[in-house]
Amino acid sequence: MTPIMQIRDLSVGYASRRAVGLAVTSVNLDVEKGEILGVVGESGCGKTTLAVALLGLIESPGVIQSGSVQLRLADDKLVDLVGLAPRPLRQIRWKEIAYIPQGSMSALNPVLRVRQQMTDTLVQHGLSKAEAIERARWALNLVSLDAAVLDKYPHELSGGMNQRVAIATAVTMQPAILVADEPTTALDVVTQRSILQELVKIRDQFGTTIIVISHDMGVMAQVVDRMAVMYAGRIAELGLVLNIFDAPLHPYTQKLIGSIPKDTGQHLEGLEGEAPSLWAYPPGCRFHPRCSLATAICREQTPELREIISGQYAACHHCD
Amino acid sequence: MDSFPLRQKRSSSQNLSALQARLQPYLPTAKYILKRIGIYFLTVLGAVTLAFIFFHLMPGDPLSIVFSQLEKTNLGRVTGGAEVAEAYKRLLGLDQPLPVQYLLFLRNVLIGGFDLGPSFVAFPTSTRDVIFRQLPWTIGYFTSAMLIAWLIGTTIGALLGWLRRIGLTSVAVGIATLLNITPVYIIAIAAIIFFGYHLHWLPTGQPYDPGLTPNWGDIEFIKNVLRHAIMPIASVVLVWGASFSLGMRSLMISVLGEDYLSYAKAKGLTPFMILRDYAFRNALLPQVTALGIALGNTINGVLILEAIFVVPGVGGLFVRAMAIHDFNVMQGVVLLSTVAVLTLSLIVDLLLPFLDPRIRRSND
Ligand SMILES: Nc1ncnc2c1ncn2[C@@H]1O[C@H](COP(=O)(O)OP(=O)(O)O)[C@@H](O)[C@H]1O
Ligand code: SF4
Ligand SMILES: [Mg+2]
Repeated sequence: MTPIMQIRDLSVGYASRRAVGLAVTSVNLDVEKGEILGVVGESGCGKTTLAVALLGLIESPGVIQSGSVQLRLADDKLVDLVGLAPRPLRQIRWKEIAYIPQGSMSALNPVLRVRQQMTDTLVQHGLSKAEAIERARWALNLVSLDAAVLDKYPHELSGGMNQRVAIATAVTMQPAILVADEPTTALDVVTQRSILQELVKIRDQFGTTIIVISHDMGVMAQVVDRMAVMYAGRIAELGLVLNIFDAPLHPYTQKLIGSIPKDTGQHLEGLEGEAPSLWAYPPGCRFHPRCSLATAICREQTPELREIISGQYAACHHCD
Repeated sequence: MDSFPLRQKRSSSQNLSALQARLQPYLPTAKYILKRIGIYFLTVLGAVTLAFIFFHLMPGDPLSIVFSQLEKTNLGRVTGGAEVAEAYKRLLGLDQPLPVQYLLFLRNVLIGGFDLGPSFVAFPTSTRDVIFRQLPWTIGYFTSAMLIAWLIGTTIGALLGWLRRIGLTSVAVGIATLLNITPVYIIAIAAIIFFGYHLHWLPTGQPYDPGLTPNWGDIEFIKNVLRHAIMPIASVVLVWGASFSLGMRSLMISVLGEDYLSYAKAKGLTPFMILRDYAFRNALLPQVTALGIALGNTINGVLILEAIFVVPGVGGLFVRAMAIHDFNVMQGVVLLSTVAVLTLSLIVDLLLPFLDPRIRRSND
């Protein structure tokens, strides 16, 4: 299969007065058409930065240090979202790649009705007002919301409803790719499950490629086909979610999965220590201060992401 | 893949419920409005009471002050001064016990339509007429100046905030900061010296040329008044416009950091749409409040300008009243400006729920 999106050597940083700290470092990733790809990692590991870069939305103090994000359009043409001019970028946004933001409550404008926030993009992309409203109704219906929501303001809706509005808004243009950043954080378990179900439904119905970002391994287990485990701005492990849960290769993934409360509710193995700040990454493998398998080579050489078993990649010196 | 459904015609009953749905968010507003108006009347009553207490419980009654002043200056060597004073007291109702005076005062001010008795500055013209004669000047010069300042300042501030990353805007911000901390009378005096005495472009004072007879039907007269108004208005616009623009700029910058802004960008909206519907729209709300406060405080702010430009107005009237201890007029001006502040904040509060839907809910 040809990937719909190819991320190559992508490094994204935040500039301070003196230096640039890389929140995303040399990420290589192919996103297959129609898959649900998960990006998981502790808070602060660069997931949102990666998502924002995929939308071509990095702006000061953020900087794209290197790399490219190639998007394959319907006519098989490739465009690089990095460094694309504002106008073509605006046309690609929402039509090709739409976004479900982290915390829809603050992402929706509090003083505009849902109607306007759902339709302004559509009108801008060339639909008539009536068509736009019809499509908004259709999208709301898709995520099991009543069309009456159109006349509401965000604060009049519950967190779960706002999240559904965000999802509905994201599918109005039937984009090829959806990027959902922590789509279920801050929601109760039941709502979480049904929101994730909506995403699966959208993929099944329209073949939309979905990138789901979460710090929650549980979310990965529920909806994702393939997942990338991020640690301190780098991809630590990449593979089918079933395989990774079955036999995680990277010590960090092992700890993450080990820290999921089992049926008994116990934390079997907690993650000790803190993730490094982007201003002070340790040399070599960024995980070595917290890794029980660390040896001299780990402290000196950065492990490259390599295929260990067919289809399963890890960035670790000691995982064969 | 699914396609989008065809447009369906909606039945009239659906239209009705849609109408209800549209109105529904406004319903708490009715309750909010009533509550807010109730508070308004209570605070006005409080203000009137305070004005009464302040001016009636001051040591020494106004008449004896006036008469003792007259005696000091030798102008008032009138025989039977005490009887005259008594007569005045009766005329002004000052011979009654305080509670009765208070009730009379309330009745006269609230029901009698701002009846504060005769003025001393222009005896026997009533205080109300004396003040209301000056009021159009004050509003004409300074309320309009404040509105212009707000419109210009808000626009410039919004642009400065929007273009915050462009280095050149910091020059404008520097100028605005400088203007903002300059007292308005310094600007006024500088303008008079430069444009008036130095360049002879504009008249240095007076509401119109001394030789003219006021005739508001005469276009030439109006032109003359406007020419005279340029400098006073421009001074206010410069200083207050700078202040409004700095306020709006920081409001914009804080709004630009909000999540809904990057989301709007992610949706592919054009910069203009984002500026109009997301940034400006949201930053405007607190800015409207700022205008209300500034307008309400017009009378407090213009005293010195009226003096500098020698134009009529409530501020100058207040100064004259103070000089001869005309308590009625002083009281009237203080009351009027308090009520102006209260009324404008009422208007702003009634306007805000229509601009900001969150208020409709949070206050019911
Ligand atoms: N605007 C910013 N300026 C400076 N640093 C930032 C900014 N946004 C995020 N960061 C830093 O980048 C790192 C990654 O952040 P983020 O991508 O939000 O992580 P995640 O979404 O995984 O929690 C964090 O260390 C965070 O502090
Ligand atoms: S490279 Fe070394 S330090 Fe890093 S995860 Fe593997 S074993 Fe641990
Ligand atoms: Mg995040």
